[in-house]
Amino acid sequence: MGALQGLAADRRMTPQTAKARSAGVLKTVAVAGALIVLGLFAPMAIKSPYYLGLLINAILLAISAVSIGFLAQQSGLMMFGAAAFTGGATYLYAIAITRFGWGVMAASAFALLASTLFCVLIGALIVRARPLPFAMLTLALAQMLRSIVLITDFRPLTGGDDGLALSFEGAFFGFSQAQLSKPEGFWPVAWLALCGVLALAWAVGRSRTGKVLRAIKANEERMRFSGFDTYTPRVLAFTLAGFIAAVSGLLTGLYTAFASPELLDFSTGGNALVSTLIGGVGTVGGPALGALLFVVGQDQFGGAGNLELLTGIGVVLVIFVFPNGVMGFIRSGVARLGAPVRRAQHGDDHAAR
Amino acid sequence: MTAFLHAMSIAQFANALALASLLTILASGLALIFGLRDVMNFAHGAMFMLGAYLAYTISGLFNFWAALAIVPMLLALFGVALEYSVIRPLQNRSQMDVALVTFGLALILSQLVIKIWGTAPLSLPAPASLAGSIDLFGRPYPSYRIFLMVVGFGTCAALAGWLKYTRSGMHVRAVSQHPAVARILGVNTDRLGLLIVCMGSGLAGLAGVLAGPYLSVDPALGASILINCLIVVVIGGLGSIGGAMAAAVAYGLIQVLGSLLSPTLAVMAPYLLLLFVLLWRPQGFGRGRVG
Repeated sequence: MGALQGLAADRRMTPQTAKARSAGVLKTVAVAGALIVLGLFAPMAIKSPYYLGLLINAILLAISAVSIGFLAQQSGLMMFGAAAFTGGATYLYAIAITRFGWGVMAASAFALLASTLFCVLIGALIVRARPLPFAMLTLALAQMLRSIVLITDFRPLTGGDDGLALSFEGAFFGFSQAQLSKPEGFWPVAWLALCGVLALAWAVGRSRTGKVLRAIKANEERMRFSGFDTYTPRVLAFTLAGFIAAVSGLLTGLYTAFASPELLDFSTGGNALVSTLIGGVGTVGGPALGALLFVVGQDQFGGAGNLELLTGIGVVLVIFVFPNGVMGFIRSGVARLGAPVRRAQHGDDHAAR
Repeated sequence: MTAFLHAMSIAQFANALALASLLTILASGLALIFGLRDVMNFAHGAMFMLGAYLAYTISGLFNFWAALAIVPMLLALFGVALEYSVIRPLQNRSQMDVALVTFGLALILSQLVIKIWGTAPLSLPAPASLAGSIDLFGRPYPSYRIFLMVVGFGTCAALAGWLKYTRSGMHVRAVSQHPAVARILGVNTDRLGLLIVCMGSGLAGLAGVLAGPYLSVDPALGASILINCLIVVVIGGLGSIGGAMAAAVAYGLIQVLGSLLSPTLAVMAPYLLLLFVLLWRPQGFGRGRVG
């Protein structure tokens, strides 16, 4: 409902509101730009390679969590098997490097393009499914890829149980493998990728396509009756989510220089899903925050082997108590503090419509 | 065709049935819970694994037969806890939320198992009376697998009989077809739901005990069988118990046939079947509800 009204409002937006909105966007863009530049200097602030490595792991997880969160927010579909797209991209990259003997740039482009294409195909088939079958289908997809990787016939291509150790010659945007395997060398790549992915998810969410998507999520039938194409936007959203996950997979390949069947495990996709849930799916940044919390938690408690126990408890707790995740909790806290002001603004908004 | 027949020996067929009988028990539990409670229990595999580990400990303390009797009861108690702590409080939440909670439960359970029993695979020996092999159409065949099939399919037959010929069984079928209508006609869905969750969990425990001597007991047991189970339940038609049973047998056959003809195909076949069913025939091949 809300989204439909938003669409209608979009069409008859007055010049004043448009101006105010673009000013707001400019401000946000300026703040975000400053943050991005500041983030590039994080290795100077965090001297310890250990903590920097931890942050990089958080970023890799965050990107796949953003992918899950994006799809959940825009389409209401939960990817249980995000590992299929992250691990799939890592494998494509690894195969291109080790088996085809391609350069790193070509292999990276191949990994991203091929996974995106794969997502279009898969998406075209499965976005029609309801949320629960969709979750099962993606889970099955990850499991299927894992089984394929482990098939003895494909061992020459995928390395089977042993995985693929890879190390590229040449340079990835001026970085050598030795540089990229170090946390401080990899940081700019990871940070910029995270910022890019967040900006992409945010921009698509704010665009008209994003509005149409959320309206379809709210009531697919009504959108169809209103003359909207409800299929293509969903395939698009799925493809974008798959692309974002592939970015995470590619970065994993570049950073760890290794592709192993564990990348396609039930639990690998589970970690990203848990991060997304902990962070909350209501916002673009929530899943990233969740991934940070997840990795910090892993560092604090993982040594004792308690990690999965805690994440399990975390998920159960989040669903029971904070259905909107940590970000939702923070936002509702902020909203409560600024409640009187907000309500007044909201009233105006309605009157304007 | 002759090569095919040659490859498909009696022993292989029996193997397919052994795998299928395990899957049938698990899948019918999963299907029952989904039918009555609308909960896709992602913890079902973990419960199965827990059952196998409990069987390992109890058969060490007493013997295998004691484990066969005690473990399903323990798991049924676990089911009671599941019903009261998760399913009832979350009754009004979306299917997805409950599924996610059971997913979290699966993580918790598998970690608890690792904490208590460690990660190394354990082996649970078959009881002495079943440790040998028997003559199956001229070929020796492990007698434990025969026992597994008999218990597995016996349980399923009993379950099917209960569903078909008793009053409470009729209520279960009614609720899984039309929950609201059944409630209007005076079926106590809460009490029935408790019974079914209890029973489904107990069946997972039973499958765990039975799987102990057949598969190796390790922490990855849960995740791998869960996917197979989900596939079987979906193919059989969500919420359809008979469909789940038939699909489990078909699944076992496909696995064994495929591994003889083409291992790649064997790996892909269940997933492709799942894709096909979910996209073109969401009610499955049974008379299930649309999930």
